[in-house]
Amino acid sequence: MTSSAVHEVGVAAPAAAPAPPAGRSKRRGRSDLGWALVFVLPLFAGVALFYLWPIVRNFWFSFTEWGPFGDSEWVGFDNYAELITDATMGRAILNTLGYTAILLCGIPLAVYFASLLNRPGLRFASVFRAAFFLPYVAMPAAISMVWRIIYNGDFGILNYMLSLIGIDGPSWLSTEGVALVAVALVGVWISLGFNLIILSAGMKGIPVELYEAASLDGATRWKQFTTITVPLLTPSIFFVSVMTVISGFQLFDLLYALMGTTNPAIDKTQSVVYYFFTNIKTGDNGYAAAIGVVILLLVGIFTVLQFRLQKKWVTYV
Amino acid sequence: MSKRPVGARESNTIAYVVLTVGAVVMIFPFVWQLIMSLGTNADVISIPPSFWPSEFKPENYANVFDRVPFLSQFGVSVAITVIRTIGQLVLCSMAGYAFARMYFPFKGVVLALILAILMVPPQVYLLPQYQIIQGLGWLNTVIGIAAPGIFSAFGTFMMRQFFMGLPPELEEAARLDGANQFQIFWKIMLPLAKPGLSALAIITVLWSWNDLLWPLIVATSAESMPLSAGIATLTSGRTITDYPMLLAAAMMAMAPVLLLFLFMQRRVIDGVAFSGLK
Amino acid sequence: MRRTALLAGVAATALLLTACSSNDGGSTSTADKDMTAEISYAYWDATQEKAIDQIIEEFNEEYPNITVKTDVTPYSEFFGKLQTQASSDTLPDVFWMNGPNFQLYASNDKLEPVTDAVDPANYPQALNDLYSFDGTQYGVPKDYDTVAVFYNKALFDQAGVEYPTEGWTWDEFHEKAKAISDALKADGVYGTVNGLAGGQEMYYNTILQAGGEVISADSTTSGYDSPEAIAGLQFVADLIADGSAPTLQQLSDTPQNVWFVNGKSAMFWSGTWSNAELRESAIVDDIEVAPLPKDEREATVIHGLANVVAKSSKNKAAAQAFQNFLASDRAAVIQAEAGAALPAFNGTQEAFVASAPYNLQVFLDEAENSSFPYPVSKNTAAWNQLENELLPAAFSGERPVAEVAKELAEKMNEALAEENE
Repeated sequence: MTSSAVHEVGVAAPAAAPAPPAGRSKRRGRSDLGWALVFVLPLFAGVALFYLWPIVRNFWFSFTEWGPFGDSEWVGFDNYAELITDATMGRAILNTLGYTAILLCGIPLAVYFASLLNRPGLRFASVFRAAFFLPYVAMPAAISMVWRIIYNGDFGILNYMLSLIGIDGPSWLSTEGVALVAVALVGVWISLGFNLIILSAGMKGIPVELYEAASLDGATRWKQFTTITVPLLTPSIFFVSVMTVISGFQLFDLLYALMGTTNPAIDKTQSVVYYFFTNIKTGDNGYAAAIGVVILLLVGIFTVLQFRLQKKWVTYV
Repeated sequence: MSKRPVGARESNTIAYVVLTVGAVVMIFPFVWQLIMSLGTNADVISIPPSFWPSEFKPENYANVFDRVPFLSQFGVSVAITVIRTIGQLVLCSMAGYAFARMYFPFKGVVLALILAILMVPPQVYLLPQYQIIQGLGWLNTVIGIAAPGIFSAFGTFMMRQFFMGLPPELEEAARLDGANQFQIFWKIMLPLAKPGLSALAIITVLWSWNDLLWPLIVATSAESMPLSAGIATLTSGRTITDYPMLLAAAMMAMAPVLLLFLFMQRRVIDGVAFSGLK
Repeated sequence: MRRTALLAGVAATALLLTACSSNDGGSTSTADKDMTAEISYAYWDATQEKAIDQIIEEFNEEYPNITVKTDVTPYSEFFGKLQTQASSDTLPDVFWMNGPNFQLYASNDKLEPVTDAVDPANYPQALNDLYSFDGTQYGVPKDYDTVAVFYNKALFDQAGVEYPTEGWTWDEFHEKAKAISDALKADGVYGTVNGLAGGQEMYYNTILQAGGEVISADSTTSGYDSPEAIAGLQFVADLIADGSAPTLQQLSDTPQNVWFVNGKSAMFWSGTWSNAELRESAIVDDIEVAPLPKDEREATVIHGLANVVAKSSKNKAAAQAFQNFLASDRAAVIQAEAGAALPAFNGTQEAFVASAPYNLQVFLDEAENSSFPYPVSKNTAAWNQLENELLPAAFSGERPVAEVAKELAEKMNEALAEENE
């Protein structure tokens, strides 16, 4: 059901636009236009001003170079040429992919917890659900503060716990390599609740009869999970993974709030959006705009890819 | 667990254990924050960690008011959240209805344009947005912070999906009675759309309250910032190092939404589930 | 709708422009005590808030109808934000400026020269020079800072180590730091803690002490590849390598002042700006101050902040009235008494020295006897960024110090060549 909605988005454009086929629409075409203007124009005007026009502007910016105070000159494809050989950008893309991959690993976890929550006869389900959802509601800027304290290499409780079993933990948020994982784990912690709710709702849509029949055939719970729950849940899993990839590529807030700007590991840990931000901060707005275009391309490519691949694993009933 | 007998009641024991462990991990940071916010700086910087405040200092919460214009930031947060939520409810439900039920030229193109925004990382339009807000003279104002967030591609899409799922018969009947599009929308469709509207409202409140990057850029004076930006500004500098006070401030900034969630748990969860389903 | 909004934007900009130009004429007249205006004052150090609020209060006794709104942004974000604001001519009316950024703003015509009401003779000449560009002075020196060693007597006692003495050397400093780190390891206490995000607190000083320089006197070549500069950097790396000081990672997790204030470090290289926090900390009675240890010579960088007025200010007369008040001896005394900063106004420093129980006179003596100008050029930020990118690998021992220093010098020379094109 979820992906059918997403399908429609893609289909809507060619189907609805130029020549409405049915007599119904022809009959009402004229009168609807007036009302449609009233209904759609306020929103569209705002969207155009605050989103579409800025996107166009960003493309324009990507062909310019900026002086320290906003004076810009046209430089053609210079920014893009520089981007191709920019090792920091390459690293940032890899980091972003790595972060997204870890977030995706959170999905099986969410499926598992959702299946536990949906067990018949389970009590306190709503209490558990609330607990899992809490991080998703919390303000990232605020909750990052306590994570910084938990992850602190010298005084953090995480390293204290590890020291009890003889492990000398690192400075989680300021050690290259480790920091990315530490940030991603907070990302998983935040998104788990959201994924869980979506997947839970998907599970509720699976007919109970299927399980009853399988039980009568003597299928184990695990078997039921792998042969009924997971396959029938693939549309929801697909939706959740599309959302995860999009949010993974947009990683910024968490990185900013957890690591800060003077962290010694930030250069090797930053995401593409963070690299965009760094360039804005140093006034290289043209270069930043070019990075923005690349981010746009990456998100586009990966989303298309996911839609292509879905045919291989998503089951529609 | 694969060897468990089917449907056996006691096999839920494992579920309880796993879920409890999971829930503890999820909640622990909140509890830890609460404990640390009630202690002293030395409690935060201590080896081994102090699991309980060495000295109970609830005044950390009162101190927040001395260091941060908390009340005005709270006011800004409330104001931008209200403006964005009402704005989205009105604009998205109208546009969503039009996209679901009306026929007009270039409908598909317009919808596709709006939805394309969902793919674009917010940072891409940040700088031009800033220039627009600045051009309008809206920097450091509530309306300037709230403005772009009133227009939501996501909300429009969600409401469109909701209206598409409603049976068309009711409208047909009203149309035969001579009602115009607005009357149909206002009197018939909107009351039916309550679950969708409440889901949209909840999602917008959550997002707006926690939104960080945009307010950080358009609001430069402490008084005109919402809480999210105020908190982030407090912590990113190293000049304030009173950790318990910072944690207390963070706790207070999160509290309204956390409380809202706890009191309206079912609604919030249903709302989020709804946004995913549609 | 979209078009009208844009038009409105254009109209607003036009209005803004006319507002600016009409104000230009009367910019030097600040006599009107009844003028009504709202101005903004941006700064980054939250520990100076109390002093600044008091200054504003007294300013309002003179100018009751000028509202001053303060805008505190942490240092790490301050100049990024300022640049965005400068690009769109929405700079705060009055704001703090530092040496590394001054020339960039002055050379791009973003600042208003100081009025005749400000007498440069009231401030040390080095600071007037720092805030002059092409013969015009744009900033009113606010304070100045040198660097010394704050130490915690209780931790020295606990570790059984003797207190620092006048004229101590690098070796003595290093031995004490190591001895304390070793003795108090179980409590997680380090001998010394040094801020390394930027050179002012530590490595600019050690480079100077070894006899080197960060930048040539004419600001055209880097000094990083000299053997003296390398020795200065090596000293910092050695402290970290043998556990006398925490690593960069540890400093990122827990900032240097937090280590010291919470009794987790026995020594702390820092400037006068730390006084406001230290004098109110729990360990205030254990704190004492020693001059920086010497190597080839005694040395500390001296730097100071200034208050500047934005050229684009819409209330320039009010902004300049406030700047003039900030330039007064009264404002200097308020800062000094609050212990917020060592004021630049000649003759007002005594109040600062008296603001804390430990010996702040050390900072003044250093300024007089062993201070060197803070290294700047036209675009200091460009090579500051190189320092922050490259030096961590040298401090952590990941790469040989000499190799990093050579690379840094090369890249810095390129950046310097670019700015003088």
